Amino acid sequence: MPVFKAPFNGYSVKFSPFYESRLAVATAQNFGILGNGRIHVLELAPGAPGVTESVAYDTADAVYDVCWSESHDSVLIAAIGDGSVKIYDTALPPPSNPIRSFQEHAREVQSVDYNPTRRDSFLTSSWDDTVKLWAMDRPASVRTFKEHAYCVYQAVWNPKHGDVFASASGDCTVRIWDVREPGSTMIIPGHEFEILSCDWNKYDDCILATSSVDKTVKVWDVRSYRVPLAVLNGHGYAVRKVKFSPHRRSLIASCSYDMTVCLWDYMVEDALVGRYDHHTEFAVGIDMSVLVEGLMASTGWDELVYVWQQGMDPRAS
Amino acid sequence: MATHQQTQPPSDFPAPADDNSQIPEATKPANEVQQATIAQETVKQDPPTSVFKNSEPIREDQIQNAIKFLSHPRVRGSPVIHRRSFLERKGLTKEEIDEAFRRVPDPPPSSQTTVTSQDGQQAVSTVPPQAMQPVVAAPAPLVVTPQAAFLSRFRWYHAILAVGVLAASGAGTAVFIKKSLIPRFKSWVQRIMLEEETDPLKKADAKPSLAEEAVAAAKAASAAASDVARVSQEMMITKNEERKYFEDLTRLLGVQVQEMKSLSNNIRRLEGQPNNIPKIYSADQEVYNGSVTAARKLYTNGSNVDYDTRSARSASPPAPPADSSVPPHPKSYMDIMSMIQRGEKPSNIREINDMPPNPNQPLSDPRIAPKSKPWDYGQAPQDESSNGHWWQQKNPRSTDFGYETTTAARFTGNQNETSTVEPAAFQRQRSWVPPQPPPVAMAEAAEAIRRPKPRAKIDQEAAASDDQSGVSDELQKITKFSESGGDGGSGGIKITEIEEETEQQHISQEGN
Repeated sequence: MPVFKAPFNGYSVKFSPFYESRLAVATAQNFGILGNGRIHVLELAPGAPGVTESVAYDTADAVYDVCWSESHDSVLIAAIGDGSVKIYDTALPPPSNPIRSFQEHAREVQSVDYNPTRRDSFLTSSWDDTVKLWAMDRPASVRTFKEHAYCVYQAVWNPKHGDVFASASGDCTVRIWDVREPGSTMIIPGHEFEILSCDWNKYDDCILATSSVDKTVKVWDVRSYRVPLAVLNGHGYAVRKVKFSPHRRSLIASCSYDMTVCLWDYMVEDALVGRYDHHTEFAVGIDMSVLVEGLMASTGWDELVYVWQQGMDPRAS
Repeated sequence: MATHQQTQPPSDFPAPADDNSQIPEATKPANEVQQATIAQETVKQDPPTSVFKNSEPIREDQIQNAIKFLSHPRVRGSPVIHRRSFLERKGLTKEEIDEAFRRVPDPPPSSQTTVTSQDGQQAVSTVPPQAMQPVVAAPAPLVVTPQAAFLSRFRWYHAILAVGVLAASGAGTAVFIKKSLIPRFKSWVQRIMLEEETDPLKKADAKPSLAEEAVAAAKAASAAASDVARVSQEMMITKNEERKYFEDLTRLLGVQVQEMKSLSNNIRRLEGQPNNIPKIYSADQEVYNGSVTAARKLYTNGSNVDYDTRSARSASPPAPPADSSVPPHPKSYMDIMSMIQRGEKPSNIREINDMPPNPNQPLSDPRIAPKSKPWDYGQAPQDESSNGHWWQQKNPRSTDFGYETTTAARFTGNQNETSTVEPAAFQRQRSWVPPQPPPVAMAEAAEAIRRPKPRAKIDQEAAASDDQSGVSDELQKITKFSESGGDGGSGGIKITEIEEETEQQHISQEGN
């Protein structure tokens, strides 16, 4: 299975929605505490070494997240530690990049997510307690959503409803928002500790998974949000990212500070269906390819990016 | 009630903002509350058709709890955003929180009101109309709110009085100056006129009176000016004092933060070295002697041999003091943290200019049309060149986590060479199908599942339908997991309906 060694600590990995063999990686120097950052665009290739870097962009501050545009195949958006949001176009020569830099967030931008249904806008969430909505063609954010009382670690669009999104915050709540409404439409006090990540079920638009510092992943139905549908235990430390499979309704992937990546089927009694312990430091980034079923990628503070098929050993050569 | 909501909260929220630290926050909660009120109005006016909106009725018991919480003296001193966040974490909805805030009276410390009630008497006439509104809405004691309103209004009146004094003194000086200027001007004109007439007597008479008036005017003007100066000085002094208090507060906070940081660093250092066990069992950390590498090996092996704690934990619900179970950070991470706390900058940081060279650079035209997602049924993404790269196939060889997959029923005419090779491995293999979903109608797939007929259509469509039956089987077989996601990647789209049915059955079985 291909492995890519980055010079900096990995933070996030995302498959391209256009090219099966392409993925982007967000990395940060010095664990993201203080230092530069770099975005890598990788290509999977047959034969050794299996993955090559096609282009890399350096940034002055850490890159905490990256996402691909759903409207332009060559465009990706990066969330930077200095509060800026930068847009890169891989079809242009590297010296022309970035093509945009939006400086609005007051603190580190923690996540960026592109709208998969409307394909014209994206969200960023930041440690300044806000979520901002942007459109590709506007020079400033379209809206700012300020209700959380602490860092917003992730904001994710609903895969079916183009106006609805969820945000996970360190104030221990998940909020559901509708961009047509002035404020949040639902507040889910999901965990007793900070909620680090959330993701929607791609096949059931009312189901949401959240992961928290309390080491659990919880699955919620927004129609009856007082009690979770499932509580998935098994990680040894905080669960940093959670992701619903684009191909299987009840499959969830999660990565944690216990250095493992786990696969869960929340509809099943014994939910843990897979565990990968290939990382030697915190596993902080994970993605499942939309174009290739079963293809997963993960990255961690050990500066490695693994890409593998479910069921295979990521470290197998 | 709707109009009440609109008018009240802005007047309520500046009220608790007695502390300096809350004055800047008065704008924030005011905005939030305005947003919340608008949201409330829209929610109450529009029927809640969206599932993403809260349609629960307001729970009175929760509101009572919230009122008790908000009435606590210590809570009163906290910023509004913290109070809201706490209530949200306790599971109250926005409407309930707003209702609780509305009902909780303005700060009613009785001692303060007795002191200020005398001064507040002047403000009685104007305050009651405003105070009536909160009184009417709140079931809280009537006595408290007017007094509290006095107290709150008193601050404003302080400012208003000062402004009034300033204005009065300014007007007074203007009047006096006019009084003195005009006579002076007149006298000057007269003097000029009279100079020609050379009438010294008149001048002599006029001068003393004019001079007296001028002197009086000047005295009044100076008195007014001194008043103005005094008042402004007082205001400056109070402002300075307030600023001093604020700075002291922030300094203290900063000191505390630093202390906490150093504490946490010490803790991290302590656990980073000998101990890599989560702190749930944290009593004696020095007891657990393991080196960092040993712990890492433990994790990478995934074995729970040496540490019962870990295995116990995975079986039972997580012990919540996650605050204390800090995961072991890498040693170099700790080095960098301590370096930064000492104020040093790591040496490997470069100066990079990452600003866009042309901020108006247009995006390059997309070369590929957006692809539909596997969860958008009925849409087929484009046909990619399926070269059969490793990342496009489900791998026939698998280190099996193993769902026991179903048998030959899953496999269609679409098998590739590798899967036919090992009959024993059939159970774990998936047939290779190209990644695109088949453009097949759902009804056919549903049919195929219900009746396990042999795939008459030997093409991708059949693969999808068969895989779906495999999915339902998988869902029933609990533990193992096989290498791919339960269908030919193509079949993902079509699974949805069938899965719904099977899952509903499954759920009912489970007694979910």
